[in-house]
Formats: sequence, C-alpha cells, structure tokens
Amino acid sequence: MYRYDEFDAAFVRERTAQFRDQVNRRLSGEINEDQFRPLRLMNGLYLQLHAYMLRIAVPYGTLASRQMRMLAQIARKYDRNYGHFTTRQNIQYNWPKLRDIPEILADLASVEMHAIQTSGNCIRNITTDQFAGAAADEIIDPRPVAEILRQWSSLHPEFSYLPRKFKIAMSGGPNDRAAIRFHDIGLQAAVGPDGEIGWEVWVGGGLGRTPMIAKQINPLVPNEHLLAYLESILRVYNRYGRRDNKYKARIKILVHETGIDKIREEVEAEFAEVKGGVLNLPQAEVDRITTYFAEPDYERVNEIVDVAREKLSDPAYGEWLDRNLHSHRQPGYVSVTISLKPIGGAPGDITSEQMEVVADLAETHSFDELRATHEQNLVLPHVKVSDLREVYDTLVEAGLATGNAGLITDMITCPGLDFCALANARSIPLAQEISRKFQAPERQRQIGDLKIKISGCINACGHHHVGHIGILGVEKKGTELYQISVGGDGTEQAAIGDILGHGFVAEDVPDAIERLVEAYIARRESDDETFITAYRRIGDAPFKEALYGAQ
Amino acid sequence: MEILTGNELMSGATVYLDRDGNWVEELQKARVFLKEEAEARDAAIAATKKTLRINSLEIETVTLREGVIHPDRIRERIRAEGPTAPRFDRQHLDKDGHVSI
Repeated sequence: MYRYDEFDAAFVRERTAQFRDQVNRRLSGEINEDQFRPLRLMNGLYLQLHAYMLRIAVPYGTLASRQMRMLAQIARKYDRNYGHFTTRQNIQYNWPKLRDIPEILADLASVEMHAIQTSGNCIRNITTDQFAGAAADEIIDPRPVAEILRQWSSLHPEFSYLPRKFKIAMSGGPNDRAAIRFHDIGLQAAVGPDGEIGWEVWVGGGLGRTPMIAKQINPLVPNEHLLAYLESILRVYNRYGRRDNKYKARIKILVHETGIDKIREEVEAEFAEVKGGVLNLPQAEVDRITTYFAEPDYERVNEIVDVAREKLSDPAYGEWLDRNLHSHRQPGYVSVTISLKPIGGAPGDITSEQMEVVADLAETHSFDELRATHEQNLVLPHVKVSDLREVYDTLVEAGLATGNAGLITDMITCPGLDFCALANARSIPLAQEISRKFQAPERQRQIGDLKIKISGCINACGHHHVGHIGILGVEKKGTELYQISVGGDGTEQAAIGDILGHGFVAEDVPDAIERLVEAYIARRESDDETFITAYRRIGDAPFKEALYGAQ
Repeated sequence: MEILTGNELMSGATVYLDRDGNWVEELQKARVFLKEEAEARDAAIAATKKTLRINSLEIETVTLREGVIHPDRIRERIRAEGPTAPRFDRQHLDKDGHVSI
C-alpha cells in the first residue's frame, strides 16, 4: 500500500491544526456559520437531519488493518459504535459532535487518512475496481495510477472551485466493476496496437437527475501523458462548465450540450499546449509509486476450492463460497467479498467490533489489505484457498458471513430520509423489507444475479438508474412513493433503466419486486439466463404488465 | 400554523423554539406561530441568528390536532423522532448546548 511521504504527513497534520483553529473560532462565535460552512465542507463535515456527518476518504477503496482498527476506535469513542460504507468507497459517521472533529481528524492523520475533498466542487476520491491488483481478468493494477491521480488532484489550485463536483473512476481491465461509464471521467486500462498499455478515457457520464452514459473521448492515452490529458479535460470543463445553474453544472451536461466531437477538439487543443510539460509522467515515477503496490509474497500453492463438494457437506458454507469468492490471478488464492448486507440489516453499516474482526482477518489472511467496494461491501483481496474455512468461521461468529454477493439481497442503498438532508423518501427500511422478503437462500439462488439499487431522491446516491431493478423514492403530497425501473446496468454494458410506471407506497414495493422477479423467472430461457440478460431479450413490456396489468 | 426548528451548533441536534425563547429538543414544546404572528416569528428568527448557535434554521408548517403538534412534512416527523431504520435515539444536546433568545 502507498505510505505517506514527509510532505503528505506534514500537510495532513497542518490541515488538522487549521481545522482545529477554525472549529474553535466557530464555537467562540468569532466566525458565523456562513463563514464556517465552506471550511467544514472542505474537511468532509456535513450537517444532516439529526446531527453532523463526517465523510472520510478511502483512497481507491484500499485500507490497511491499522486504518480499519482506527476507524473502529473512532466509531466507538466519538460516534455510535458503527460506520457506514458508501458507494464512493468512503466511510461515513452519522453522529459526531463538532468539538470532537479535530480529535477525529488527528486520529485519522495518525494512520494516514483524512476527510479532505470528500465534499465541495473539487475532484473527489478516485474509485477503482475492488479487486484491483488481484483480479484474474485485469490488464494492469490501476492503483499506482490512481495514487498518482490522488496526488495530482489533492488541493490542485486550479481545480478547487470547479463548476461542480468531479468524480473519476478507474478499471484495470475490460470487465467494469467500478461503473466508470457513470463518472465524470472513466478510465479503463487498454492495450494499443503495438502492445502498449494505456487508458481508454470516457467523459461526461453520471447519474443524478440527468443520468448520462459517458462518451469515449480518447481510445488510448499512455501513462506518460495521462495527467496532461486529464488536466486538459478539467481545464475545458472549468472554462465552459455552467456556473449559472447547479443542476446543469456537471461535465455531463457540458458534453451533452456541446457534443463530444467539439469537446474532444477543445481538449486536444489544450492537450497540445500542456503535453510534454511539467505534467509529463516519467516511467521512473510510475515505477516508484508501483513499488508501494508490489505483489504480496504469495506462497506457491495450487489448491482449488471444490464448491460443489462443500455445498453437500455444509450448504451455508458452500453457498458463501459460491457467491462471495472472486478469481485471483495467483494460483491457490481468491478474493473474498465480506457482505455488509445481512438479512434485514442496513446496507453498508458495520460495527466497531466487526471492523476489528475484519482488520484481524486482513492482517492474518490477506497480507494486511482490505478493500471497500462501491456496492457497499468489503473485500479481503488475497486469501489463500486453504484458509477459507477459517476465514468463514471467523466471519460467521462476527455476523459477517452472509453469502449473498450479487444476489437480490445485496442491494446498494443510500442513507435516504432517515439521515440525509437532501432525501425525499426513506431507503433503508425499504431495503430491509425487500431483504426479509427474499431472505430464503434457496429463493435467492433460484433468482440468481440481480442488482437492486435504491435512492431516496433524484440525486441518485443509491445508483438506482443502473440497478437491474432501480427504486427511486419521491415525496408526493406528504407520502413517500417509489418509482420502479428495470434494465439499468453499471458495467461495461452500461444502460440506464426504464421507469415502468407510477410509483408505489412503501408497503407495496416488496410485492411489486416479487412480481417482477416472477415475470423474469417465467420467461427466462434457462436457469442460467440472468435477469438483465432476459430483460435485454424481452424488453420492459412483461415487467410493465407484471406491475400494472395488461395495458 | 408554523414552528421554528434548526440544529444546535455543537451537537447538531434537532431543536425547536419554545414559548419561553429556549431552543429545546421536544417538538411538543415548540411555540406554534399563527398566521397573524408572522412579525413575532420573524423577530424570533432574527434573535436566533444573533446567537450564532442554531444552524439550518427553518420555518416548518404544522397541524395541531387535539393539542398535539404534527409536522406536515415526513422529513420533519423523522427529524423529531430520529431515524426509523436502523432505529436510533435522536441526537441530544450536550450539557452546554442550551440556547435561548
């Protein structure tokens, strides 16, 4: 993992001291809230419905065990003994007190973490595939470049006051597990005609009230020029992005209204100026950063896991193996998804005690590494196959062994109106009801891969637009209503879901989901045809009929 | 009918202006301003702003039924009670969280 150098450490320490002073000045009345708000937001501190909320950056979703232990300690000491993992691979605390924030930031700084640029119109945390550096299908590990981009984008003087927030996601291979086509910039590792590795650059994707699939702006930018190319995109956005209307200020609107060809022309003109200058990225620097992400010292083993056999002797363990493992590039190893979606639980929530268990497992069984996923789960990236039973048993004891990765109960859910000041409707209770309705393992297995994503407002933090089944909460005349869409897809087969019709009250949503599931099962060509594949074949008519009857 | 609500500076807790000019945790102690009391309401807002201690100050419409205050918006009902899922107690004021106008 990357370790702070002297500059990083000094900077984070100084920022913490500055914020301590700013909090003191606010508490003493020296500055008012209008003056303080931008300062606290620059440090990830929001004011939500019931309390402050502190959002902490987890760069490209990677955590070491000591960092996870510190997150547990902070939750225990300053919050309510739990944290909430988000769709941006970050973690949020929902109940901190203002006077404790400087102490929390100092504790975070001691383990090389902070909350800078988790809010505001700047470049936010760069997200990646949760299996980066481990996945068998990866072209290159995106984390060294993600770290270089983190350094480039941190406190970038030109890009601290963009027209609106700016999100970058990266995938190290063609199988997109980071939803890169729904980010302001998406980077996908690609191989050029002469075998050179670079980045396919996508721009202008996003969710929110105007969902857009990103457009390809460049098929291959080599590492050497990546910073200059991204700088050029940001400059064009900073110059032409709308500042008159918050709802039209994201780069997706600029790209949509201007057209990708014209944007490409502008970016290329800027790139011609910037290219070869101070932003040139020498291979030596890439190599230096890459050493922080060197392969762990794997044992030479070749054991494979016999899921079918394990299912016969211990169905729960077998099911967990079947769902929660991901192929590793190293023989004898796998990546393990730790589901934060227990039946009836709040998606993404994890207690201090559970964090400590996970930290211990990372230390003893995954070369001290952990990942947060954009689907609000955690990952032990490098687990030896022969250790799986021990890992599973430990997770069972901690209540973390739900074998539902990618199944109907593994939902993305935003905090919704139970916590969020922007929300119009609750999300978590709905997720809990759906989870309980489909809790039977055999039922989930029968349904197969199915991603439900729930947002409590049009800002779409719950990624409902790209849910195979998406649910959007709205408020109408004092009642929470939920619009249902189908056909969304956040992967390389990017698609925005179609709204099927009028909304449902919360009590009716689980039954509505069941009708959609039944419509799918009745029409699938085989048990192997997934919901989204069947949808692409049959369209939305059968699903509309399932919800609203024959039209 | 309206009430005044906001979040106390130090804890972030949801608070309401009561009849005695104190910012308190209990919705049912909130002062209800009638339509003709707009001037008093605005004076209370101005006095509150001077304290620098109440954030996200808002006027909320409510209905009074048998002496019980019912906020019209779902959002306000959840703010008053705390999150419904997971069920958490609402945030409370610290010992030095008392604010008056």
